[in-house]
Amino acid sequence: MSAPLPPKPQEPLLTGRRIIALWFPHWAAETSRADYDVTQPFALIDMHKNAQRLVALNDVAGQAGLYPAMTLPDARALLPDMQTAMADPQDAAARLQKCAYWLQRYTPWIGEDTPLETADGLTDYGLLLDISGCAHLFGGERALLEDMAARLATYRDGRSITLRAAIAGSIGAAWGLARFAPSDLTIVPEGQDAEAVLPLPPAALRLSAPHIDLCQRLGLDTIAQLARFPRADLTRRFGPIPVLRLEQALGQAGESLNPYLPPPQFQAHKNLPQGITQIEALATLIGGLCAALAEQLQEAGQGAQRIDLTLTRSDNAVMALSLPLAHPSADAAHMLRLFEERLTRLSGGLDAGFGVEQLRLVAARTAPIIAPQENIGLSGRLRKAAPMAALGGLYDRLVSRLGANVVVRPVPHASYIPERAVRFASVLEAQQSDDDVASIIDPATRPLFMLCAPEPIEVIAEIPEGAPYRFRWRRVLYEVTAAYGPERIAPEWWRGLTGESLSHHNRRTRDYYRVEDMQGHRFWLYRDGLYDRETDKPRWFMHGVFP
Amino acid sequence: MQRALNSQVKKTNRQHNLSRLQTLVARHETVLQTGASVTTGFADIDAYLTAHAGGGLPCGGLHEVAAETSADMAVALGFAHRLAARFLHHAAEDDVLLYGQTHAACRDGGQPYGPALAAHGLSPQKLVYLDGVSLADLLWAGEQALSCTSVACSLLTSSDSAPDFTHSRRLSLAARTAERPLLLALGNTGASAATTRWRIAALPHNGWQVRLEKLRLTHDTPPPTGGWAVYPHRTDVRVEKHDTHIMPLMRRAV
Repeated sequence: MSAPLPPKPQEPLLTGRRIIALWFPHWAAETSRADYDVTQPFALIDMHKNAQRLVALNDVAGQAGLYPAMTLPDARALLPDMQTAMADPQDAAARLQKCAYWLQRYTPWIGEDTPLETADGLTDYGLLLDISGCAHLFGGERALLEDMAARLATYRDGRSITLRAAIAGSIGAAWGLARFAPSDLTIVPEGQDAEAVLPLPPAALRLSAPHIDLCQRLGLDTIAQLARFPRADLTRRFGPIPVLRLEQALGQAGESLNPYLPPPQFQAHKNLPQGITQIEALATLIGGLCAALAEQLQEAGQGAQRIDLTLTRSDNAVMALSLPLAHPSADAAHMLRLFEERLTRLSGGLDAGFGVEQLRLVAARTAPIIAPQENIGLSGRLRKAAPMAALGGLYDRLVSRLGANVVVRPVPHASYIPERAVRFASVLEAQQSDDDVASIIDPATRPLFMLCAPEPIEVIAEIPEGAPYRFRWRRVLYEVTAAYGPERIAPEWWRGLTGESLSHHNRRTRDYYRVEDMQGHRFWLYRDGLYDRETDKPRWFMHGVFP
Repeated sequence: MQRALNSQVKKTNRQHNLSRLQTLVARHETVLQTGASVTTGFADIDAYLTAHAGGGLPCGGLHEVAAETSADMAVALGFAHRLAARFLHHAAEDDVLLYGQTHAACRDGGQPYGPALAAHGLSPQKLVYLDGVSLADLLWAGEQALSCTSVACSLLTSSDSAPDFTHSRRLSLAARTAERPLLLALGNTGASAATTRWRIAALPHNGWQVRLEKLRLTHDTPPPTGGWAVYPHRTDVRVEKHDTHIMPLMRRAV
């Protein structure tokens, strides 16, 4: 190598990420289905390079001097009564994935390890967890890691799982520290990845076997020695990948995590040989997917409550449409109608670009469908669909075209403040049971139509605390001929105490009057604030109209 | 002679054709009432409907309720709500009322107020409300509701724009086919194919002036031009009871 020049110091990328790398050195053996005595040496064997070799050991066997890739006869020579079983790599990988889902109790973002080319076909089992912003929920990183280690120790009943873990700011650093740091559980303070990684051997850089070999031949024992060389020289000697790994471990290059996501239970997808742009053709394809999805759902006796449609364009742009349903449905025609409604109303139409290449339909949330029993003997009348199902279909169509916040139903609320006595909830929300909150108000004293917000009006009253005499609302003058009231409504004083801020219209006592004008129009208006006690100049507001 | 005979035959043919066409037009113009119908609950109006419309308002039909002036929109809606309540009582127990408003109707007239619905014979639990949509969406929603067996009645409100004859004809046919009622409460009216059109104005002392402007059920007796003066809250026992304990503070003769 040329004369070692100190490389230009590079600033680490401050990403604020915190990554946990977990390493299970004996995963395959410790989680194996084989029934063995955990206090005795145990190994999994497989045929490799024309010999039966050990591919995984438990802790006891490792301490007895066995090592992976050893041939079975050699191992038997050392430990004649060792227990063995055939290895099943797929099963071990599946168990690791299951463990990853279980670890989602700590963070939703859990990824698989970078696949590594190891000598002798041995598999390395580890997981990566992005815990950025999650640690405080468990009382800090140390507490989280200890909790995780304690739970993993008893994860598979009866057998403890050997675990090494590290928390660092980058995937590369965490990976290396989990495997080569002196302690089992390592936590690197934020921004000190480089210092922690530099004393480790080059193998901690996720290098392939030939590269590790090369480092040994060059006499490079630590990453620090490697990092002293200019990157260009390293690239010439090792190729681009080890340099990238080095920069990733030092936090100078970014890296993303490929998360495991639980596969949806009900899904249908279609890959097209060529991108299509026509909405009509897409609708036909979506219809096919809906039919496939509906069939899966019907077989399982389930109905979809939310359907997600993902369209991938040929330029890899992804468009997603999510469709909530009022009632669980497994009706393909219904789903298709909703999607057609939605597609035609996409703002600016569907931008298919150079064509959609993949369509994927997933039932993101499902619920069991109880098939309605058909009535027998209804000969004269038309047979009526189950009311909830019929309404559910209508709600879905209305919501998919008009929006969930437009299709609503009134929900009563126990309050004397008129605008708080009712709120609108989407029809897709479950209908609450009818309690007696509505009965606290006499319905006849309330207007059938309530203005969206009280509108200020100019009022002339005979006496300041009396009923209005005439008023002007929306630039029209009304002469009052009859007034009923006042109905006094005090603000909800307890709201101010609990720290909730009172809204503008809920600070003063209101005196409501029902008034009728000369033509017979009837209004509901109020004076905001008690004269002389709360305010000198009470304002008047129009709040509703009576039919 | 032959020519005179020919012209005589032609004339008879023409008269025959004319009368046949007249019958046909009359048949198309008149909606034959076959399905169920409801009464309004006002004795005078019901007496007229019984005599001339075969018992009441047909359930399968489009009914328009128009306001006399823009200030009367609230009373027109009150009348429409009353009709909706009658239709709802006639329907099955779980059926709902779809009540939709355009943006303008929402802004001008306000939203339906849940606690007051009970005084008008409606239950808040049975109300599905569309909170401000365009006129096209409103009419679309009405058509969708007609095809749903669990919607007893739809009440659509537009205070500014009105549907044109094509919309009206389409909805009217859909309502007749579905045998379910569709109520349109309008601030402005245009050409319409509705089965009935009512025009409502406010009357002093809690009253409504109700005129039946159009009735496509009969041809013989037109409805009284002056309409009927009705006092909905006086016939309603519940409201009477509540009103007695609220003392009128001030009542002036003007």
